[in-house]
Amino acid sequence: MRLRWKLTVASLKMFTRQKEAIVWTMLLPLFMVFLFGFVSFEGLGRIQLGVAGAENEPAARLVGRLGEVRTVQVTRGAESAELEQLKAGKRHLVLVLPEGFDPAGKQELRVLVNDGTPEETQMGLLILRKLLDDATFGMQSAPDRIPLAIQSVASRRSSYIDFLLPGVLSLAIMQSGIFGVAFGFVSLRKRGVLRRLSVTPMRPQDFIAAQVTMRLMVLLAQIVVLVGVGILFFDLQFMGRLLDLFAMGLLGGAVFLAIGFFLAGIAKTEDQVVPLANVVSLPMMLLSGVFFSRTNLPEPVRVVTEFFPLTYLADGMRSIVLEGSTLPALGLQLAGLGVWSIVSVWLAVRVFRWE
Amino acid sequence: MFQTGVSVSPVILAVNNLFKRYGDLVAVDRVSFSVHCQEIFGILGPNGAGKTSTLEMIETLRPIDAGTVILDGLDVSSHPRQVQQRIGVQLQSASFFEKLNLKELLLLLGELYGRVVDPLELLSEVDLQDRAKAQVEQLSGGQQQRFSIAASLVNDPLLVFLDEPTTGLDPQARRHLWGVIRRIRSEGKTVVLTTHYMEEAEELCDRVAIMDRGRIVADAPPRTLIGDLLASGFKKERVERLANLEDVFLHLTGHALQED
Repeated sequence: MRLRWKLTVASLKMFTRQKEAIVWTMLLPLFMVFLFGFVSFEGLGRIQLGVAGAENEPAARLVGRLGEVRTVQVTRGAESAELEQLKAGKRHLVLVLPEGFDPAGKQELRVLVNDGTPEETQMGLLILRKLLDDATFGMQSAPDRIPLAIQSVASRRSSYIDFLLPGVLSLAIMQSGIFGVAFGFVSLRKRGVLRRLSVTPMRPQDFIAAQVTMRLMVLLAQIVVLVGVGILFFDLQFMGRLLDLFAMGLLGGAVFLAIGFFLAGIAKTEDQVVPLANVVSLPMMLLSGVFFSRTNLPEPVRVVTEFFPLTYLADGMRSIVLEGSTLPALGLQLAGLGVWSIVSVWLAVRVFRWE
Repeated sequence: MFQTGVSVSPVILAVNNLFKRYGDLVAVDRVSFSVHCQEIFGILGPNGAGKTSTLEMIETLRPIDAGTVILDGLDVSSHPRQVQQRIGVQLQSASFFEKLNLKELLLLLGELYGRVVDPLELLSEVDLQDRAKAQVEQLSGGQQQRFSIAASLVNDPLLVFLDEPTTGLDPQARRHLWGVIRRIRSEGKTVVLTTHYMEEAEELCDRVAIMDRGRIVADAPPRTLIGDLLASGFKKERVERLANLEDVFLHLTGHALQED
């Protein structure tokens, strides 16, 4: 135990004295956040409209017409549930239809609007107004409009940075796991350091345990630094608990460290490690929803990326940061990463070699 | 020197019919020799003669195909951990962790043996006490070799193995290293080294084994081997000058210990 601790401390010293390592693990992710954070990719997306209340035939007809408007995405749900979604920033407005809704009746319709997204809300109200007017126009006795009672609801202003930061954090965890371990180990082997160690009574598992401990400590530091900078400089709305983020990060870190050891096992030289690590990490970096939502991917690609370890990690981290989810609510992500960790550790153990 | 004492001091390392094969190539072909306590024992031979393979099997780095190695009464293949505790090893092309200084490296290596070492004492043993805060890559070739000898002493070993410790060093650095090796022996340790410098073997070693194509072709003190050759009627075609160019070089640049 003492030896493992001493080895961990020594590895941390070696790590922190390496300028490249700090650049890769801390500065590069921060730079990504700065870059993408200032260039706004938000624009006007689809307007998220929730419809609650009456489910009679005229209501269904109205929802059908709303659904035909390309820029509007309609979701039906109970009023309380839709209100929650609105508060969480997932709806721009929620239309509440009274019981026995009938356009001819001119009943007042309540509209709850997200106060954090004025553009989308305004656009949504215009569309709604237009459709309601169209619905009553053909009726003879319809000189006046259906009144709308607009009610502003204090909601989360969900910005791109809130989406981006947990993604970049997951990416940073993947990169330092895969590249750090794979490159570091092949280099230690190539330079004969592992050979020198193998004439001492040290057991390889002590050294590997120390390496893993050191990397996981760096990972926790990455989480603290990125979330801290996000809150201080980018007005990150951190809804979750740091502990959940740590737990999710450690599980993801375990998967990527094992992938790193696997690659260190199959690569013979440093020159082979980099392309191998890129083959593994690039598709995940681009397709796991780190920078952009996966919903815009073509369906077959989207389904495949569903199973990437980085997708599980990024979705989990994002859900903790954006929605304040706790671990029990993230069963899918935990199970996905759990399966990946078993597979990758098994692969790593099979191909790993000291010399 | 201590050459007559060789036969009376006890055997610390006994190698018996050691054998190693890589595919079709027999690298070490039933090699036997023994090393006595406090000897400086040299293994000589051209490249590819099997010196390094022989050492690596003794050092637990390579599995033994056949034969036995008994070190301080322990069979190397059945007690590798105990053997590792008793030996110090300097490898030909091994290096150390980057970004740690000499002092930190020695402390860490000591931990691998479960020991708390005094790094400054070890460094002064190889005349590197003022480089304690330096990193290995900042040292000259001779200093790196001396450091790697200090690193092989962290566990206070009975037996130290040095694989070509002076290859690539200039004459001063080489002589400096000889001094270090003699100092280690005077502290009661036994030294086994490989070299392909004949004058080094003659100057430094109490006894040498000459290897060629995986076999030992001679095993005796250098003086005895030379004496035997002369007794057989051998004569050099040109009579050896009483000094050579290396002596001139050392005379001009100073015999004294220089910081290389």
